[in-house]
Amino acid sequence: MLDVGRHPNISLLAYSELTALEGEAGDFTATVVKKARYVDADKCTGCGACTEVCPTPVLDLYNEGHAERKAIYSWFAQGIPSTHVIDPDHCRVLTGKKCGVCAKKCQAGAIDFDQTDEIVEIPVGAVVVATGYDVFDPARIPEYRYTTLDNVVTAMEFERFLSASGPTEGHVYRPSDRKLKQEKIALEKSQTKLAKTLARFEKKHGMDSPAFLEALEAGSLEVTEDLAKDKDKWAEKATVFLAGDDRLAALAQEVALVKTATKIAFIQCVGSRDLRFYPFCSGYCCMHAIKEAIIAHEHDNDTQSVIFGMDIRAVGKGFEEYKIRGGNSSQIAYRRSRVAEIVPGENQAPVLIYEDTTTRKIVRESFDLVVLSTACAPVKDAAGVADTLGIALDKFGFFKTEAATPMDTSREGIFVCGCAHSPMDIPESVAQASSAAARAVQTVMKSKKAS
Amino acid sequence: MTTDILVLGGGIAGIQSTLDLAEMGFKVHLVERLSSIGGKMAQLDKTFPTNDCAI
Repeated sequence: MLDVGRHPNISLLAYSELTALEGEAGDFTATVVKKARYVDADKCTGCGACTEVCPTPVLDLYNEGHAERKAIYSWFAQGIPSTHVIDPDHCRVLTGKKCGVCAKKCQAGAIDFDQTDEIVEIPVGAVVVATGYDVFDPARIPEYRYTTLDNVVTAMEFERFLSASGPTEGHVYRPSDRKLKQEKIALEKSQTKLAKTLARFEKKHGMDSPAFLEALEAGSLEVTEDLAKDKDKWAEKATVFLAGDDRLAALAQEVALVKTATKIAFIQCVGSRDLRFYPFCSGYCCMHAIKEAIIAHEHDNDTQSVIFGMDIRAVGKGFEEYKIRGGNSSQIAYRRSRVAEIVPGENQAPVLIYEDTTTRKIVRESFDLVVLSTACAPVKDAAGVADTLGIALDKFGFFKTEAATPMDTSREGIFVCGCAHSPMDIPESVAQASSAAARAVQTVMKSKKAS
Repeated sequence: MTTDILVLGGGIAGIQSTLDLAEMGFKVHLVERLSSIGGKMAQLDKTFPTNDCAI
């Protein structure tokens, strides 16, 4: 990635979108909108001092919504370019409120709230489309209860949990347990604030809050003129505080019992090889699940994983050996089954209902955490991209190609590679990318010779 | 008429195409929708079958 940022032949237009492509092979004009970052790319050093002082938390989609970023942010820590960007939907200044602390903090003077979108026209001879894929939305399979069960996550979410730079710093804590911890922290904060307010009342009226509440309830409270003004507010705050104390004690007990998830289920073919959604095999998910199970076991040697699938497709150099190694040394069990349903169990543990096809028995089994190996789906705005480029989609929404010319789209001079072409793993994407680059060179050199 | 090439998307495929073309001496314009390149691969912790770091 670093090489892309500093190569003299590469002009990097990040935070930009293609809006039109006129002309023909060898002589296209691309219209690109460079969206306003509200940060001067020439001045920003990427130090991150602005994000430290920004008061506005926003859901971090890089971490699949399991962490928070700020309204001024970089997509991820090692991102290229390192230029930060202000999210116009959440920034206080850009939504018409008072703030601007980032501008005060920035020593480089890079913050520019008046920046606007810039439209550039670029003459190009050929185009390589590498727009990738989207993770299949498992909410479309209601029987897996992805939206209602906290401890059912996608493989991409689990990937972030395993990452040392992720929301759980590589420790696999269940989302429901993390919610408990967050609730505890928030409650402690609000209790401290309430305690201060109560202390003020207590000092002013010379009695402690429980005694005040008791007297109020018994009707024995001597209401002075001063107390009459404070009485209702004091009673309300004291009641909330006492209830909060009880909840906090219960939370502390629950949080103390929290352990990392060590019994993990992986469900394969979520959305793929499924006639309701995508009939094709996404190719990489079996290996992805095995890899995640191996890494989880590396992080915590007590981890036991079960991978539920119709079959494990380990097709690739060294893949079958990897699968066997996972079974032998990382406590991974491969179970031939298609999970029918996930239902809520005790202590937020998801319960899987499936038929074990080797014993022909219907089984209910409880797990700490369930990981869904979601299908590789076409990007959500594939139709829009195809329309802009003037190229055709196949029936699933990937860009259409022919078997004999696998990199060529339906418009001459435009080539496709990676998961924009069809589901594939990283080595295959890289190989296709080199092929598409070679095809693009053929196009521009042919046009150059002809002219 | 130009030999410049546009690459749309800065994930692993787009990055590889871009670097190949740039190394061959062509001027490449890499357009990425998000504020930094890397795509889905940058979200991965490790990659199979070698368990190498993704970034």
